[in-house]
Amino acid sequence: MRVLTFGWEYPPSKNGGLGVACYGLTRELVAAGIEVIFVLPKSQETKGNARFLFADQARLVTIRHTEAWLRPYQQSDDLVEVIVGYRPDGTPIIKSRTILEEVHRFAHQASLIAKEETFDVIHAHDWTSYLAGVAAKVASGKPLVLHVHATSYDQAASDNVDPAVRQVELEGFTAADSIVTVSGFTRNILIKKHGVPADKITVVHNGCDSEEPPRLSPALEELKRQGKKIVLYHGRISIQKGVDHFIRAARKVVDVDSSVVFVISGWGDMTNQIIEQVGTLSLSQHVRFAGALWDEERDRMYQSADLVVMPSVSEPFGLVPLEAISHGTPALITKQSGVAEVLTHALKVDFWDVDEMANQILSSLRYPVMRRQLVTEGQQQLKLLSWREAARKIHTLYQRLVQYVTP
Amino acid sequence: MLTVCPYFHVHQPYRVKRFRVFDIGTDGEYFNDESETDLNNRRIVEKVAEKSYRPTNRILQQLLADHPEFRFNLSFSGTVLDQFEAYAPDVLESFQALVATGRVEILADTYHHSLAFFYSIPEFTRQVKQHEKRIKQLFGVKPRVFRNTELSYRNDLAKWCEDNGYLGIMAEGWDKYLGWRSPNFLYRPAGCSRIKVLLKNYKLSDDIAFRFGNQGWANYPLQADTYADWIHAHHGDGETVNLFMDYESFGEHQWEDTGIFEFLRALPTMVLRHPDTSFKTATETVESYDAKGEYDVPDVLTWADTDRDLTAWVGNDIQRDAIAATYGMEASVMKTRKRDLIETWRKLQTSDHFYYMCTKWSHDGDVHAYFSPYQSPYDAYIAFMNALSDLQLRVQQHHDSKARALVEALDDDAETIPVPVVKSRPQMVQKPPVDPVEEVAPEVPEVVVPVPVPPPSIVAQVRAWLGSIKLRLPW
Repeated sequence: MRVLTFGWEYPPSKNGGLGVACYGLTRELVAAGIEVIFVLPKSQETKGNARFLFADQARLVTIRHTEAWLRPYQQSDDLVEVIVGYRPDGTPIIKSRTILEEVHRFAHQASLIAKEETFDVIHAHDWTSYLAGVAAKVASGKPLVLHVHATSYDQAASDNVDPAVRQVELEGFTAADSIVTVSGFTRNILIKKHGVPADKITVVHNGCDSEEPPRLSPALEELKRQGKKIVLYHGRISIQKGVDHFIRAARKVVDVDSSVVFVISGWGDMTNQIIEQVGTLSLSQHVRFAGALWDEERDRMYQSADLVVMPSVSEPFGLVPLEAISHGTPALITKQSGVAEVLTHALKVDFWDVDEMANQILSSLRYPVMRRQLVTEGQQQLKLLSWREAARKIHTLYQRLVQYVTP
Repeated sequence: MLTVCPYFHVHQPYRVKRFRVFDIGTDGEYFNDESETDLNNRRIVEKVAEKSYRPTNRILQQLLADHPEFRFNLSFSGTVLDQFEAYAPDVLESFQALVATGRVEILADTYHHSLAFFYSIPEFTRQVKQHEKRIKQLFGVKPRVFRNTELSYRNDLAKWCEDNGYLGIMAEGWDKYLGWRSPNFLYRPAGCSRIKVLLKNYKLSDDIAFRFGNQGWANYPLQADTYADWIHAHHGDGETVNLFMDYESFGEHQWEDTGIFEFLRALPTMVLRHPDTSFKTATETVESYDAKGEYDVPDVLTWADTDRDLTAWVGNDIQRDAIAATYGMEASVMKTRKRDLIETWRKLQTSDHFYYMCTKWSHDGDVHAYFSPYQSPYDAYIAFMNALSDLQLRVQQHHDSKARALVEALDDDAETIPVPVVKSRPQMVQKPPVDPVEEVAPEVPEVVVPVPVPPPSIVAQVRAWLGSIKLRLPW
């Protein structure tokens, strides 16, 4: 079986869970003997090293680059600016297009690729490739699977969604033969908000690569020496992520225990608002903005924290708590997250229940035995969240679709 | 002759409400949840009374009237009796009516449905006595056969029961200890000479308690005549079939629509249909049959899970931490001699609290095997530990105020010298049990003499110096 996949390269170094998911799934599908034609939009960081990642199965994976300039986690009217050439005086010629225009260009190229290649199923990841998937389906007549990693409703954390993205979602969901969501939480959004029939959706929870990360030298040593307890937020600072609720909980925590320091690692369109909120609540002594931390710096922070909080308002899956646990730090997550469906060993609250969030933060700092158990049992559970299992479900889905289309 | 010895265990815990860190030192009430959740104790008792206790007692009363041979046993936790009294007095009366027939025996138990035997035998002994007193007061009888929380059992528990005058004790009839032998005889606990152990026939018991309403079960729907046939099949290879189960199996664990009530209504007739079959209470059973061999249980045996041990209660770190913290405060809480503090502490010993913290199921995915009113084991632990911290604080405050009173009593100049308020921080629960030496002479925490300085009398001056050093009181 051969699959035409529209996805994201791993690692699109600083783009969160999407690239991780594409890589994990593709790796395991290929291991199961499925051939993959992996179509990538062009992004500034892409150096064409995907072939290297799949080098051991090069025979099974074909990488195709396109001229569409896309990056995940954007609004439809965000601008993509591309240097298309240089004037005689050396200044660059910059063309700018909106993401939405790129999405359509990507779809156009997808239809051409679909004409050239031979394959059995189309699999498109995230909203920016939905139209590419639809175009490929129209061009080839092959069944289409859309993989929903997030929806416009998650990004808006309300019903006030980006209408253009919603339009793309509706077109895609209607045209798709089958839809995969990363959680039951996201499945429910599709049913309630997009009116997708329930039997069209399969839930495939993300997996987790659970090799033991190396222990790094601790961060924030000065704070630790002073006996401070560290509560970490790591992620984008946007309305979807609920950082404002987290800060309100921080105020309540500090009222009871002034030795707690909250560290915020990340950046986003709400950063200034959060900084202002910290000032308004007189929390400057207790909140540190670390900027966006990645790779080793991020891991060091994970390992140094006493607790990691993911306060998301609407989180389709949520990789952060799994990363935290693999680094030996327990996590507090909101019930409005997909990962809550598969992770038992985390503290769970409703994002709006700031009192309870503060209570659980304080309790976890108070009772170290519980923190230890959340980690030891959580790490056992991580081992069960495998990409292999996710790929198995996807494979079954492919087989079902192929059966229908090719008698 | 084959006799059937049924025993139904009646119990409800005092569930701890969502007690938050902010509530420590300010609230002091742990069991008064008034939400629409399953943490609301009154709501649960009223619900189970309607679904189980009232209809089942009506049936049992009728069966006793219809069949002079019908007999059974009941065991109550003190916590359920207290809640009946408060929330459903008619249910308590209907139980009293059953016992008044003289054909319903009440078993001995711990008052607080605790695992105290494995943590503190003095405390265990006090709870058994408290239970006995309460049973005497409500039912006018004295239990003679013992059953322990969750049917937990060990050789030394049997020995304790023998030494305390019980005729029999109940335990799980578990293959590991029985070997090829049948649970349908009485046995002699290892290390004992008089007391006999009645063993639960777990197969026949669990057919009712667990499998009855399971539509996937090969014998679903189970009819009373079939079940009676299974009992009768033990003619010749046994003397007593011991059917031990939760009372709430009738109507609560197995809902009315499974047909459980019709089953119960028909069962005595079907059992008695065989000419040589009858019912006996636990005491009658023990007095009728001899022990057929030794039952040697060196490690804790319970009726739970496939493991039949205590791992559902103390199998993980948070459970062990919580129970150690609970029993760790025994000395200091008992020393207060304050009834309400001691009683609250005992309510926190109820085994259900630790069961709610169980994480065993997260490995085998068998979520439904573990009922809990909390959304997660960690929620249960947090509520419990916060409540326990509050109790520790109250106990500490009690000791502090007594110590302060003594300082005041020593002070003839008390009016001119304000006694500083001793502020004690909430104690961390991981603290080891209070050192008994310190118990005898508790230290007054270091206090700072407040400004303004007292009048310059020499007595006051001495008081001030004394106040700023650690003062060891003379008792």
